[in-house]
Amino acid sequence: MGMISAVLGRLSQAFLLLVAMSVIGFIGIHSVGNPVFNVVNIETATPEDIRGATIALGLDQPIWHQYVVFVDNVVRGNFGTSYIYHLPAFELLMSKLPATLELASIAMLIAAPLGTALGLVAGRRIGTLFDRTLLQASVSALSIPSFWLAMMLILVGALLTGWFPSGGRGTTAHLLGQDWSFLTANGLWHLVLPAMALAIPNIALIARLSRSGTIEVESLDFTRFCRAKGLSSRRILFRHTLPNISVPIVTIIGLQFGGMLAFAVVVESIFSWPGVGKLLIDSIQLLDRPVVMATLTFVAVAFVLLNALVDLFYAVLDPRVRLSS
Amino acid sequence: MTLGNRLRARLISASLLAIFLWCAPMAPALALEEEELRIATAYKLMTLDPHYANLNENTSLLSHIFERLVYQDENLALKPGLATSWRPLSDTRWEFKLQDNVRFHDGSAFDADDVVYSIERIRDFLKSPSGGFRSYVSGIKSVFVPDPLTIVIETDSAVPNLPLFFSSIFVMNRPSDGFETTEDLNAGQAPNGTGPYRFESWRSGEELELVRNADYWGGKPAWQRVSFRVIENPAARVAALSTGEIDVADAIPARDVASLKERGVRIASVGAARINFVQFDVDRETLPGVTDKSGQPISNPFKDPLVRRALALSIDRGILVDKILAGFGTAASQVFPNGLPGTSAKLLPEVPDYEQGKALLAKAGYPDGFSLVLAGPAGRYPGDAESLQAIAQSWARIGVKAQPSASPFSVFNTKRAAGDYGIWYGGSSGEAVDIILHSLLASPDPERGTGALNFGKYRNETFDRLLASAEGIAVGPERNAALAEATELAMADQPIIPLYHFHHIVGYGPRVGSYVMHPRGWTTAMQTLVAAE
Repeated sequence: MGMISAVLGRLSQAFLLLVAMSVIGFIGIHSVGNPVFNVVNIETATPEDIRGATIALGLDQPIWHQYVVFVDNVVRGNFGTSYIYHLPAFELLMSKLPATLELASIAMLIAAPLGTALGLVAGRRIGTLFDRTLLQASVSALSIPSFWLAMMLILVGALLTGWFPSGGRGTTAHLLGQDWSFLTANGLWHLVLPAMALAIPNIALIARLSRSGTIEVESLDFTRFCRAKGLSSRRILFRHTLPNISVPIVTIIGLQFGGMLAFAVVVESIFSWPGVGKLLIDSIQLLDRPVVMATLTFVAVAFVLLNALVDLFYAVLDPRVRLSS
Repeated sequence: MTLGNRLRARLISASLLAIFLWCAPMAPALALEEEELRIATAYKLMTLDPHYANLNENTSLLSHIFERLVYQDENLALKPGLATSWRPLSDTRWEFKLQDNVRFHDGSAFDADDVVYSIERIRDFLKSPSGGFRSYVSGIKSVFVPDPLTIVIETDSAVPNLPLFFSSIFVMNRPSDGFETTEDLNAGQAPNGTGPYRFESWRSGEELELVRNADYWGGKPAWQRVSFRVIENPAARVAALSTGEIDVADAIPARDVASLKERGVRIASVGAARINFVQFDVDRETLPGVTDKSGQPISNPFKDPLVRRALALSIDRGILVDKILAGFGTAASQVFPNGLPGTSAKLLPEVPDYEQGKALLAKAGYPDGFSLVLAGPAGRYPGDAESLQAIAQSWARIGVKAQPSASPFSVFNTKRAAGDYGIWYGGSSGEAVDIILHSLLASPDPERGTGALNFGKYRNETFDRLLASAEGIAVGPERNAALAEATELAMADQPIIPLYHFHHIVGYGPRVGSYVMHPRGWTTAMQTLVAAE
C-alpha cells in the first residue's frame, strides 16, 4: 500500500513538473521572437509570404490558444512539425537520441568506476602525495570551463598530434533501427575526445565525493571492528566501505547522466556531435518551438525516470531503505 | 582471494592498455576513397524539397541534385542551363528551348512537361509556410508546350526578368499523378533531379551523401562521391579543415585565414552579391531611443536629408573593411559591388569627412548633435555587431551619441517589425541590382510588391518612376544604365547608408585543385576541380 501511494505521489509530482515546464518553455520561446523570420528568407520574402507563413504556423492566434492547441496535440502523441526541418518534432528528437545516448553512456562508464576508485584510494591514504595530487587535479578539472577543455582536447588530440579526429560521429553501424558510432572502430575513434571532454569533470566530481565518503566511513567504529577482526584492508575497502559511500555517488551519477543527456550542449557543439543538446540549443536559436517543446518534455521525463531509478538503487544498496519500505 | 583480486586488476589494466595500443595505429581508420570530396558547410540542409524555402541553407546543397533552366555566371550574367536558349516573342511572351537528351536520375527523360510541373507545383500546390519561390512564378499567366523541347510562357504584364527568375527554380520530374508533397520527399523518396550528383542518403541538419551521376548530360562530374557535413560552429569547421578531415570548408571567419594559410590551406573569396547598410525610419514623427543629449524626446531627425548625409559622411568604412572584416570586405557606395551589371560607375565609397558632417548637422539644426540607439543583429552577418560599435565611435566625433544594441537575428526582426527601433543595421541580397532596389528603396506598396525591405518607409516618387521604367527595359546595357541612373538619384537622398559588401570565404585542402567562387555564395562540388597528380 505504501508502495502504491509512493508511486502515485511520484507520478503526480512528475505530471506537475511537466505542466510547469511546458508553460514556462512555451511562453519563454514565444517571448524571445517570431520564428517566421527563420522560416522564410527575410531578405527576399514578400509581406504576403510572411503573412502566409505566420497563418500556416498558427502564429497569428493568441498565445493561450496556441498553447491549448499544443497541449491537445501532445495528448494525442503529436508534438507538431518542426518549423525549420519540416519533420515531425518527436521523430527528429529520436533521430538525435542515439548519438547522445552513446556519448553520455561511454563518458559515464569511464567516469563512474575511475572516479570512485581514485577517491577510495585517496581516502585511504590521506595526506600522501597521491591524495594531494588528486585533490589538486580535481579542483582544476572542476573549475575549467567545458568549452576550454573541449578546445584544448581538440588542440592537443587533433591539431597538434593528429591522433584523433576533431569532430563528427565518423562511420556508424545499424542496430535496433538506429545508427551507432560505438559499433565501428572509426566511430569509436571519433568518440574518444568528446567522451573525455564529458568524463573529465565527472571523474573529478565523483572522486571528491568518494574520497570524502571514504574518510568518513574509515573513521567509524565498524571499520575498526573489521580491522580488529583481521579482515584484509582490501576486503574492508570493497565489501564495507564502498557500499557505505555509494548512496551519494549513485545520486550524483544519476543527476550528471541526466545532465549529459540534455545539456552536453557545449561539448556537442564544439565536436559537431549531432546529439540532443545540440538540437536543443539550435532549436532555441531558430525559435523552432515544436522541437524545443519535444526536447524539454523528453528531458523532464528522462530526469524523472533517472531519479526513480536512483531511488530503486538506494533500496538495493542500503538495507535500511529496503527494510523500511 | 587477495591474489585473485590483484591478478584481476593487473589483467584489466593490461587489457585496457592493449586496446589502446591496438587502436592507436588505426587513427586513419578509413582508407579514403580516391575520388571522394568531403565538404564542411555552415548551410544546414533543412528539407529535400527544392521548392520548400528560398534560403541558401536549402538551395546550396540541393543544387547538386536539381538543376535550373538558366544559370548565372561569376559576373551574374545569364548562361544556359537546362534551357539552351531563350528569347522574347513579345512583351508578355517568352520562349525557352530545352536541352535534348537529358535524363532524370531514375532514367526518365526530361522534357517541357517537367518544367510545367515545377511551375505548377510552386504556384498552385505548395502551401505556406513553404514559400519564397512563388513571387518568381506569380506573374505567369499560362504555359504552352508547342513541342517537348520548347516551352512558351505568357505573363500578365511585361517581365523582362523572367529568365533571371528561372535561375532560381529547380526542375523536378513530373510523377505519374498528382504532386509530390514535402513530407514524401523528406521521408526518403529519393529526390529525382537531372543534376551532376545523385542523392544517396541524408540526415537533416547533419549530412548529405551524393554519388556521381555517370549519365550526366554536361559531361562526367569530377568526383565519384561527395559528402557534406553540416558543421555550424566556425571554429569546428576550421579545425576539421586544418586536420585534413575535410577538403573544403565554407564561411571561414576572416580572423582564421592567416593561420589556415600557414597550415597550407588555400583560400578563395569573392565579394558577395549583397549589401549591408544602415537604414533610417523616415516615416514616424518621433522614434524610440532618439532623443536630445539630455534624454528628452525630439522629433524624428532622419526626415531631414541633411542629417542622413551628415551621418553617412561620418562613417569610416576603412575601419569596417580592414579591421573588422580583416580585408575580406569591400566598402560600399550602392547596393552591389561596383562593376556588377546595373551598378553606377559614378558612385564611389566615401572617405569620412567629420568637419563637413558636423557642419551639415549644424545646418540641419542639431549643432550639439543628439542621441540614438543603433540596433542590429548579432552573428547573422560577418562583422555585424562589431560594426555597430565602430559606427557609434565614428558618430561620436560629430556629437551624435549612438548606443549600439545588438540582438539575435530573430529577436532583432521581431522588434524591428514591432517598431521598436528608429535606426538599424540591415542586410539585403538578390539575384540582380533591380531586385534589391525594388525591395529596399522603392516606396512600400503591397499591390505592386515593392518596398518589402523598405522598413523605414522611404518614399521618392521620382525614383519609383525611374525604377519602374528601368524594370520595363529588356535585360542589357540600356536597362543597366537606367538602373544606375535611378540608383544615383536615390543615393543622393541617402535613404540608407551603404556600409560594405562582405566576402564569402572558402578554404580548401591539397586534394582540391582549385575552387571557383560565386557571388551567390553557394558551396558546391561543381565549383571544385580535382587536384592534378
